Amino acid sequence: MKHVITRKENLNSADYLIDVVAPEVARRFVPGSFCVLITIPEGERIPMSIQKAEDDKITFYIKKLGKTSRELDSWKVGDSLYKVIGPMGTPPPIRKYGNVVFASDLVCGHAENYAMCKELIKIDGNHVTSIQSFPTEVDVYPEKELCDTVADKFILATEDGSKGEKGHYLDIIKDLLEAGKVDQVFAGGAIPPLRDLSILTKKYGVPIYATVRQIMVDATGMCGSCRVFIDGEQKLACIDGPMFDGHKVDWEAAISRLAMFKNKEAEAMECYNEKMKGVK
Amino acid sequence: MAIQRRVPMREQAPEERIKNFKSVPLGYSKEEAITEAKRCIQCKNPTCEPGCPVRMDIKDIIYEIAHENFEKAFLISKKDNAVPAMTGRVCPQEEQCEGVCILGKKGDPINIGKLFAFVADWARENGITEHLEIKESAKKVAIVGAGPAGITCAVDLRKMGYQVTIFEALHMAGGVLQYGIPPFRLPRDVVDYELAFLEEIGVDIQLNHIVGQNVDFSELRENYDAIYLATGAGAPKFLKIDGEKLKGVYSANEFLIRVNLMKAYKFPDWDTPIIYGDKVGVIGCGNVALDSARCAKRLGAKEVFILYRRTKACAPAREEEILHAMEEGIIFKEMVCPSRIIGNDDGWITGIGLIKTKFEGIDKAGRPRPVNIKNSEMEMDLDTLIIALGTTPNRLFLSNAPELDTYSWGGIKTDDSFETNLKGVFAGGDALTGGSTVIAAMGNGRDAAVAIQKSLNE
Ligand SMILES: Cc1cc2nc3c(=O)[nH]c(=O)nc-3n(C[C@H](O)[C@H](O)[C@H](O)COP(=O)(O)OP(=O)(O)OC[C@H]3O[C@@H](n4cnc5c(N)ncnc54)[C@H](O)[C@@H]3O)c2cc1C
Ligand SMILES: Cc1cc2nc3c(=O)[nH]c(=O)nc-3n(C[C@H](O)[C@H](O)[C@H](O)COP(=O)(O)OP(=O)(O)OC[C@H]3O[C@@H](n4cnc5c(N)ncnc54)[C@H](O)[C@@H]3O)c2cc1C
Ligand code: FES
Repeated sequence: MKHVITRKENLNSADYLIDVVAPEVARRFVPGSFCVLITIPEGERIPMSIQKAEDDKITFYIKKLGKTSRELDSWKVGDSLYKVIGPMGTPPPIRKYGNVVFASDLVCGHAENYAMCKELIKIDGNHVTSIQSFPTEVDVYPEKELCDTVADKFILATEDGSKGEKGHYLDIIKDLLEAGKVDQVFAGGAIPPLRDLSILTKKYGVPIYATVRQIMVDATGMCGSCRVFIDGEQKLACIDGPMFDGHKVDWEAAISRLAMFKNKEAEAMECYNEKMKGVK
Repeated sequence: MAIQRRVPMREQAPEERIKNFKSVPLGYSKEEAITEAKRCIQCKNPTCEPGCPVRMDIKDIIYEIAHENFEKAFLISKKDNAVPAMTGRVCPQEEQCEGVCILGKKGDPINIGKLFAFVADWARENGITEHLEIKESAKKVAIVGAGPAGITCAVDLRKMGYQVTIFEALHMAGGVLQYGIPPFRLPRDVVDYELAFLEEIGVDIQLNHIVGQNVDFSELRENYDAIYLATGAGAPKFLKIDGEKLKGVYSANEFLIRVNLMKAYKFPDWDTPIIYGDKVGVIGCGNVALDSARCAKRLGAKEVFILYRRTKACAPAREEEILHAMEEGIIFKEMVCPSRIIGNDDGWITGIGLIKTKFEGIDKAGRPRPVNIKNSEMEMDLDTLIIALGTTPNRLFLSNAPELDTYSWGGIKTDDSFETNLKGVFAGGDALTGGSTVIAAMGNGRDAAVAIQKSLNE
């Protein structure tokens, strides 16, 4: 199977999207699920949320972070990924929740935000609010990629107020919680704000499903690398999650474990930069 | 008069081999193989053969090697064993064929494993393959898992003419042979070559297909005439003590998958990283623990400790591998049991608490039972810990097959012919036993192939 890239667009200076041919994944796509990508035979197995599946293609929103995501950014339409494996994970059920808020920022948040809101809105009795927050105006995704097309209400926020509302999603949800207008929160993106949001929603007695991003290797439940601690019990983000009841997650462990390979990631990036120096 | 001592195996010197991932044994030359084979007294009733789970014609193979008929020897071995170059290297021969060899009574048993590896290597180097006349049948069999159990069953069924598709979760076939056992024990060119044979004879291998996740078990049941479940026992067990969240604490599976499947020992040329410290501790003393310890040593760890609650004399690891590990400077700390993992404020492991043990009575498996000695706790500095306590069946598959009868620990239940409670669904290998050996899994695969044939002809 050739996983050809059929579309590639920049979302802003730090994020891009790709469409990849992967009929087997597209056929079984579930909102909130993810894939494992291996770009080249020597590459890592990296998890990536699926934004949508259309015909035999799936879409990813990718943040340029380290070696793999940057190298992939230099690829063009027509190039093929070595492996695209999925869909993986057990996302929370799409059912009637009432007033639902899906909030996202940064890596692996906006893709599931789009995917899940699109389905949640189809359920009678749900009123879906999508909040997407970005640091500043230049980080905001192009309009057609934002969730205003798939939610009842869409709130765009920038931390410096340069576009949309001013603040992080934390600030916006706080107001909604205060007004007593929320029955269920979903959230994805950077881990520290997810911890803070979990604490906040707990205070208001509102349930939350939060994406606990962890380092994955096989993503089939065989290595234990992605272990998260839920009320003291060990779960695996790759097969039990990655979304869990945010009130029960051991967030300090999750934040700590995600940084385990930081030095190695920097080393990989340095080697990649060195290699690219001679290449035009 | 037979020679009492075996022809010694040339090996990479310990000081050299701890710097690379190349094969430790260098293999027999033709002359050495012939000399070793000639020691065989060709017993009338060979005790070695019943000791082999796939019932290879060991005596005949050795006879042909002794007479320099390597091709013939290879073809005989291939008849019962889809992957002789691999089993020759990883079987616990000392407990099976070699363990019951008559010559072992007065001297060394015949070096059956190394002779079989020699023959298979020779065939590979000389391009000798088995020629099969396959009488095609329209019946289709799905096999879940491309480990030793799955591939053996696939080859046998294919030889019988069935249309066989293997679904494998990972991006490479081989199961533990690929992701678990390190290349210094099982070189990857050997693995690749023996697996290529499957595709040559027309076994369809669907990689990246996780039954229960991106393929439904019910879908397989609708589309195939029979199914063989060979999903192994891949999920790691943890200690369930304080500190398992700490950075620097790995399951053996994660450590070995990073190193062997993802080639972390070639980082940064290969992208997957691995972290190890100067002082690495490994809990357990099975093959998995030793493989982890020896990998850590090769990656560059200064001191590597095996922390075991029994003595190495009653360890489940192969004898040869314990000897190799000792030569490589792995330090065995026996009769200690981990009580807690100690970390610093940044969330990194800094050490481990250990309690001394003593033996008291015998456990269910007949091994001396270790019990903790009160007030004997001590601490040891470590910067990496690898937990190699064994594995359990992967629940990803099981949760998608709730109608399948299993034991409480997740092992699949079958009758004597390896059929599960679901008609036409068979199972074998570690998924059934919870963990055994490559050759036992292969034996299961062969027996199941016969049972599947029978059921398809009913
Ligand atoms: C369930 C899940 C869904 C994700 N979805 C998206 C997505 O939609 N878009 C997106 O841009 N990113 C997503 N990620 C994160 C993405 O996997 C990492 O950014 C990617 O692996 C980085 O690889 P790299 O080589 O470019 O950077 P590296 O230099 O290797 O790492 C940069 C950072 O990425 C994280 N990371 C690295 N390796 C892994 C790994 N094997 N597994 C998980 N995280 C890792 C770490 O936080 C690390 O600090 C997701 C992660 C998870 C767990
Ligand atoms: C590190 C290590 C060292 C070992 N050393 C030795 C040794 O020296 N000698 C020896 O005899 N034995 C050894 N063993 C044990 C031996 O490897 C196993 O007993 C044997 O591999 C079991 O074979 P299997 O086919 O049942 O399972 P496995 O080899 O585990 O293969 C199972 C396969 O199924 C796949 N799978 C699982 N779930 C699914 C699913 N839902 N869908 C699709 N595919 C799936 C897995 O990815 C895997 O490839 C060792 C084991 C380990 C871990
Ligand atoms: S990534 Fe290996 S168990 Fe989840």
